[in-house]
Amino acid sequence: MPEIKVTPLGAGQDVGRSCILVSIAGKNVMLDCGMHMGYNDDRRFPDFSYITQNGRLTDFLDCVIISHFHLDHCGALPYFSEMVGYDGPIYMTHPTKAICPILLEDYRKITVDKKGETNFFTSQMIKDCMKKVVAVHLHQTVQVDEELEIKAYYAGHVLGAAMFQIKVGCESVVYTGDYNMTPDRHLGAAWIDKCRPDLLITESTYATTIRDSKRCRERDFLKKVHETVERGGKVLIPVFALGRAQELCILLETFWERMNLKAPIYFSTGLTEKANHYYKLFITWTNQKIRKTFVQRNMFEFKHIKAFDRAFADNPGPMVVFATPGMLHAGQSLQIFRKWAGNEKNMVIMPGYCVQGTVGHKILSGQRKLEMEGRQILEVKMQVEYMSFSAHADAKGIMQLIRQAEPRNVLLVHGEAKKMEFLKQKIEQEFHVNCYMPANGETTTIFTNPSIPVDISLGLLKRETATGLLPDSKKPKLMHGTLMMKDNSFRLVSPEQALKELGLTEHQLRFTCRVHIQDPRKEHETVLRVYNHLKGVLKDYSVQHLPDGSITVESILIQATAHSEDQGTKVLLVSWTYQDEELGSFLTSLLKKGLPQSTA
Amino acid sequence: MKMKMKMKIKGKNMQRRCFSGVCVAGYEDSGGNEILQLLPPPTLQAKETQGLCPERDFKVECGAFSNRPVYGLKHVPDTSLLVTSGPPDSSLRVWQVSAEDSDVIKPVGAIAAENDAGQPWAKIATISAKAPWVLHGSRLDSVRVTEVESRKNVYTAASRTSEELSDVAFLDRNTALLCCAEGQLSLADVRQAQAPLEAASVPWAPCGERWRMGVAAQGSDPGSRPVARVSSGGHLSLTDVRKTSESLAWVKCRFPRPSSGAEFLRVSWAPALQGCLAVSGFDGTVHVYDTQRWDSSGREAEPIFIHKGHALGGADSGDGPSLVTTHAWHPQKPRTVLSAASDGSLHVWEWVRP
Repeated sequence: MPEIKVTPLGAGQDVGRSCILVSIAGKNVMLDCGMHMGYNDDRRFPDFSYITQNGRLTDFLDCVIISHFHLDHCGALPYFSEMVGYDGPIYMTHPTKAICPILLEDYRKITVDKKGETNFFTSQMIKDCMKKVVAVHLHQTVQVDEELEIKAYYAGHVLGAAMFQIKVGCESVVYTGDYNMTPDRHLGAAWIDKCRPDLLITESTYATTIRDSKRCRERDFLKKVHETVERGGKVLIPVFALGRAQELCILLETFWERMNLKAPIYFSTGLTEKANHYYKLFITWTNQKIRKTFVQRNMFEFKHIKAFDRAFADNPGPMVVFATPGMLHAGQSLQIFRKWAGNEKNMVIMPGYCVQGTVGHKILSGQRKLEMEGRQILEVKMQVEYMSFSAHADAKGIMQLIRQAEPRNVLLVHGEAKKMEFLKQKIEQEFHVNCYMPANGETTTIFTNPSIPVDISLGLLKRETATGLLPDSKKPKLMHGTLMMKDNSFRLVSPEQALKELGLTEHQLRFTCRVHIQDPRKEHETVLRVYNHLKGVLKDYSVQHLPDGSITVESILIQATAHSEDQGTKVLLVSWTYQDEELGSFLTSLLKKGLPQSTA
Repeated sequence: MKMKMKMKIKGKNMQRRCFSGVCVAGYEDSGGNEILQLLPPPTLQAKETQGLCPERDFKVECGAFSNRPVYGLKHVPDTSLLVTSGPPDSSLRVWQVSAEDSDVIKPVGAIAAENDAGQPWAKIATISAKAPWVLHGSRLDSVRVTEVESRKNVYTAASRTSEELSDVAFLDRNTALLCCAEGQLSLADVRQAQAPLEAASVPWAPCGERWRMGVAAQGSDPGSRPVARVSSGGHLSLTDVRKTSESLAWVKCRFPRPSSGAEFLRVSWAPALQGCLAVSGFDGTVHVYDTQRWDSSGREAEPIFIHKGHALGGADSGDGPSLVTTHAWHPQKPRTVLSAASDGSLHVWEWVRP
């Protein structure tokens, strides 16, 4: 049976390092190559030794696909391609290709410069790795080789995130990566057509989460910002240029307008330029609203949000500032943080995960006395808040996606199988598909039923329809023909045609059987008796008595001769072709039972 | 804080269990109902109100499928068992939650008797006294107390009348309080098997209204535990459980007469706020009242807060206005309430003292 094999790589059950191996019709594909942000040692990388113990991985993989630029999906890519060794193609969408190296470089800087690690990938490695990347467009079918093709679908979630369909012949797998089924202020919702893949691979964490409403989350964020500003405090929001900054800006602008607030909102120019640049390049990846706005004016031209100047940080009074980088580890956001940290009226809102070693991570862990350069201690009296505005699907979302794509099987990664029995039942009951949940390092095999198209020759079709029986959609029609397999095509032709094409002569196979009958009369009388008997029994068949003394039943020939030694016994010779095997055997058994006693 | 539950089941019945989980269940007649135990986000579990928290989502800890609609759902204290009741008869189903090693809530049995067939669904209450018990019944003459684990019958009511019940409760390990659909209260001593029950109707109750009852949590001193009864016509009566024939308070609440009668009507006392109760089930709102200044004059009472979230509703309100099907108080946070509505939404909210 053809099968698809899936192995999530890496140790441990936690989410945070996506890397899945798929084996489909002899092709090996790696889906994502993420880094686990919580570990400092080798545990942060997936365990590639599963693929091969030593040597480069180029020969073992046909391609690598990266779904989006978050580090838990692409963070291990330079390590994988340059330190372990892989020279094959790496596929990702255009925005991902543009943004990935920036994030990787930032991460590298933090790890090496801040934490002093030595065994880490270098800037050059990131560059070399990106040279192997082939960018793809949405809905574009990309031929990896003659048999393997991939296609990207819009996933929402972040700019450039995609779900990928991997297809070999008529077997296909869809990998969702991270996706979001509800549109937000600057991205659309994930969408896939009814592609009916054999397998859909997605995260199990989605299926057990019931998400808090976005409106609620936003309202809480706005409340916090408003309260701080009302009491004269300053709000610092460190952001990465292309994460949620755009979303939050739109949110604040609308709120400020509605509430008629006067406190200034700023964002650093570095941020605007970068963000504008990328959004301009990839405008088709944002949603309708943004695209319309962009035509009329610059996306960051808000009424209430202005460009920041570092001198403003010392201005008295309330304000809100968006500044990079997102983890407070360097640059402008750290500078501003140092100025404002000592005042308890102020607030810093961390919008995402912070890597260990950064100031962001430290203050989120509760540290309130930080050691800065030159042994200076910074006391943090400002309020520290953490909010995650990342757009993820949830239980309802995954059901919607399954309904859209109609996979035959579903596979959930990063879950514990025995703890997900209810969920498995729910998916199986709702969609009548099998649901699998492998542990990390465990391989799941899914059997597929590929359909193989076969061309039927016109002659054969005509012959079969000429038998007179009308086609009945409820009853399968049994046909006989010869299957010719040449290259990758299959044809069903009549045996004569097959013989002709192959240059073979047709052979006839004939069976002969002798049946002894006790009958003392003359041969021709026996023949008559046999004829009448058969005519009476085989009413549906053509039974004929030929002038030369033989009987035919359809194409079967029966002749009677006297036994050479015993005059009272007649020998019936029954002869038939291979095609009439059934009837021939039946006739023989019938005749062996003997003739009825009545006279002819 | 509002939370929207994204499930397509029509509605919920809820039971706040300990303070580490919420159980919800569906009540579709056509079957395919789920019973889910949800793990609330850390903000709800903690005592103090935290600021923004990264984890704001509910997690489905475990679940079960029920082919019957679930109208009554109660957790059995000190055990990992749940008891459910619902049409088509007054029998109960017992379920085992085993959250540690599996996510399946297993059906472990049923509590049924011959006279259950064809009866309205049973109202249930649970207590863990000498053993985990469930008090159940759909009519005054079919009230029983059954030991949940052994299914042994501990008490059977001996009543000459068979009025339909609307609510039952344990006042303490020996006393059960029963409320009939027409408003009468009855006390039963479960130690005396087959003792007769006494009934007391709601004073000044107009005819034709259907009543529901709310009793404060077990353990409080009976003096400060008035029994609240609310009717489909908007009347609210407070009675001292020791003197059920007298009335402590009698007011008129301003809410529309529910089309579903008293089916979803629910009144409950706040566990951590003196004299505060919540009423829901008449439309898409939940009313909170402060009963401390009430008297028996029958005048209109103003709620101190109205939660309108369910009425202002979500995206998929194609089935008409949503109805709040149930609500429950957070066991520790004084002003936090959970409510669920017929559109499948689950809200967790609190009001701020002005």
